[in-house]
Amino acid sequence: MGYKVNRPEFTLAENAYFVEMAKGIGVATKHLVENLASRKHTVTREYPEQQPEYAARYRGQHRLMLRDDGRARCVACMLCSTACPAKCITIQAGDYGDDQVEKYPIKFEIDLLVCVYCGMCEEACPCDAIRMDSGVHAAPELHRAASRVGKVDLLRLGELSIAQQGGTFR
Amino acid sequence: MSLIKVKIDGTEVEVPPGTTILKAAEQAGVEIPTFCYHDALTRPANCRMCLVNTNKAPKLLPACYSTVMDGMEVTTTDPKTEKTRKSTLEFILLHHPVDCPICDQAGECTLQNHYFDHSASKSRSFTRKNHKPKAVEIGPRVTFDAERCIVCTRCVRFCDEVSKSGELQVVQRGERSEISTFPGRSLDNAYSLNTVDLCPVGALTSTDFRFKMRVWFLNSANSVCSGCARGCNIIVDHGENRVQRYRPRYNADVNQFWMCDAGRETYQEFQQQRLDSGRVSGFEVPTKDALSAAAAAIDAFVKERSVDALAFVLSPLSTNEDTWGVLALAEALGVTRFYVGGRAAGQADELLVLADKNPNRKGLETLLAARGLTAEPLSALTTGIASGAVGGVVWVGHEHPRNAPLEAALQKLALRVVLTSNASVWSTGASVIVATRTFEESDGTWTNAAGKTQRLFRALEPLREIPPTWDAAARIGRALSAALPLWLSARSVFDELVRAAPTLATTWDGPSGRKQGRPDVPNPGFRAQAFPRRG
Repeated sequence: MGYKVNRPEFTLAENAYFVEMAKGIGVATKHLVENLASRKHTVTREYPEQQPEYAARYRGQHRLMLRDDGRARCVACMLCSTACPAKCITIQAGDYGDDQVEKYPIKFEIDLLVCVYCGMCEEACPCDAIRMDSGVHAAPELHRAASRVGKVDLLRLGELSIAQQGGTFR
Repeated sequence: MSLIKVKIDGTEVEVPPGTTILKAAEQAGVEIPTFCYHDALTRPANCRMCLVNTNKAPKLLPACYSTVMDGMEVTTTDPKTEKTRKSTLEFILLHHPVDCPICDQAGECTLQNHYFDHSASKSRSFTRKNHKPKAVEIGPRVTFDAERCIVCTRCVRFCDEVSKSGELQVVQRGERSEISTFPGRSLDNAYSLNTVDLCPVGALTSTDFRFKMRVWFLNSANSVCSGCARGCNIIVDHGENRVQRYRPRYNADVNQFWMCDAGRETYQEFQQQRLDSGRVSGFEVPTKDALSAAAAAIDAFVKERSVDALAFVLSPLSTNEDTWGVLALAEALGVTRFYVGGRAAGQADELLVLADKNPNRKGLETLLAARGLTAEPLSALTTGIASGAVGGVVWVGHEHPRNAPLEAALQKLALRVVLTSNASVWSTGASVIVATRTFEESDGTWTNAAGKTQRLFRALEPLREIPPTWDAAARIGRALSAALPLWLSARSVFDELVRAAPTLATTWDGPSGRKQGRPDVPNPGFRAQAFPRRG
């Protein structure tokens, strides 16, 4: 069942057009003057000089966490690239040999233009190696290739993780 | 002998006396978990995973070893059996490092599967796990991780019973036991990589495949090994449109469960100098241009000299379909000179390896006979060129041994058209090269030394628009206005050749073994190529 919409009739002044037009120009002029004087009505942010406030759980650019000895925590298990719905993570595994952790990523690349920032890689990682809490907004680049960030760039944002590698002994 | 009636989980089956409970359960459709049991090896019953409850003994019996008795009732899902399984797994996992993210076996690990199926409970251990040597080079092709070993001794039994080389043993006792080679020896028998397949956990891993790719990314297809004339059945595991490894596939008549190490390495041969486009006078051209250039060159040669001066070099590595296509082209042109190349003969052994290293010599000979043609060995071509009888060749394949006099003689030829998947000394300097598919990229059949024709299923996506050899030959023939049949697929070529050579018949639509892990990208790494990283 429909309902009745109240549509007020135009008054004679409104139908006359010119009066209303003058009123509108008046508002626009008022805003122009006020903005020129004190930017009273602008909502534009002066990005990037003026950075936005991100929430604590904001998923920004990825970073790779570090171990005590400065190496990447990542063991190249490929669980992040398995979980990734956009298939933007490319990992090439290498071999440390008879180390405590024998596997490491030779190459770790994320294509930030392909990434959908869903956070599945963080969820999947068993080593707390990849995180998206860097608070860095992925920057626009001039070339697509520049958006493929590699291991060096990802580690630069990284820091020590308090999670114990290989779990805890009870 | 009369059959025995046994009841397994309520299903009654009749089996001959002497059957193990495990085999009877298989017949009843009941799966009993095992680690150490393998159909082809002796049964030590040491993993205790297959313990089941019966009405004939107060204690649980190992199903892999105990034979059935008349009136036996076996239960595999009762609380007692399940509790025992859980405890068995708890013992096995007591010192097993749970480093599945690093372990190469993860995804195809029997321990992982059994843990999730039968235990899935947290560790109650409060002691540190034993540490043992990791990433030990136990053999030239096998890497050993002592921590992960559950001492099922499958590898030890394989070396004792199948390869009969006996390099492996179990040293130490109890929780310290580990697999080791005898002093001064290494796991270097010709079948050592089968221990990797046998290993239910990640203790023995292939050094070649190690860390190359996670197994759940791999796609698979059934195929046949190209290493020798035995024709071992294999599974081609591929990812990113490259072959990552070969695995043996069970075939009671050909290779049982095994394949040799040399055969597993043959995939590398087809990755070296892979041609991704045709060449005319050394310049890369699209396939259709290479095919028309080949046809024009053959036409000009036949008009200038005569078709008697034209020879065809055939490869015993081509599939039957490819050979049939090339022979059809030769016959349409009226060629009578044929030479057969192929890999040089090597060593044979008692188990699988044959001296003839070509997978399809039998098929090639059968097809030549079916068309009433004869061929000479490739070495005879040198004298053929020297005497001036041969002025041009159409050359198939790259897998021919180096031969300096022949290489020199080839430079004198007026026409060299090469149909090959990989560049080699035999294609350098050729007037026209037509890039064709490898056997991994094409459907087809090979006939092994015993005369058994076996089906190859296409595993890889062909690069660009590269045709199979039979199609390339047919298109060259049609460009020369020769009366060649219009084949639409390898299947239609196969149907035609089976009519001519009925001994090559086989089931075309067998189980393909196709398994999709992650879709193959036709151009691997195309993103990286299109947008190379700067700075």
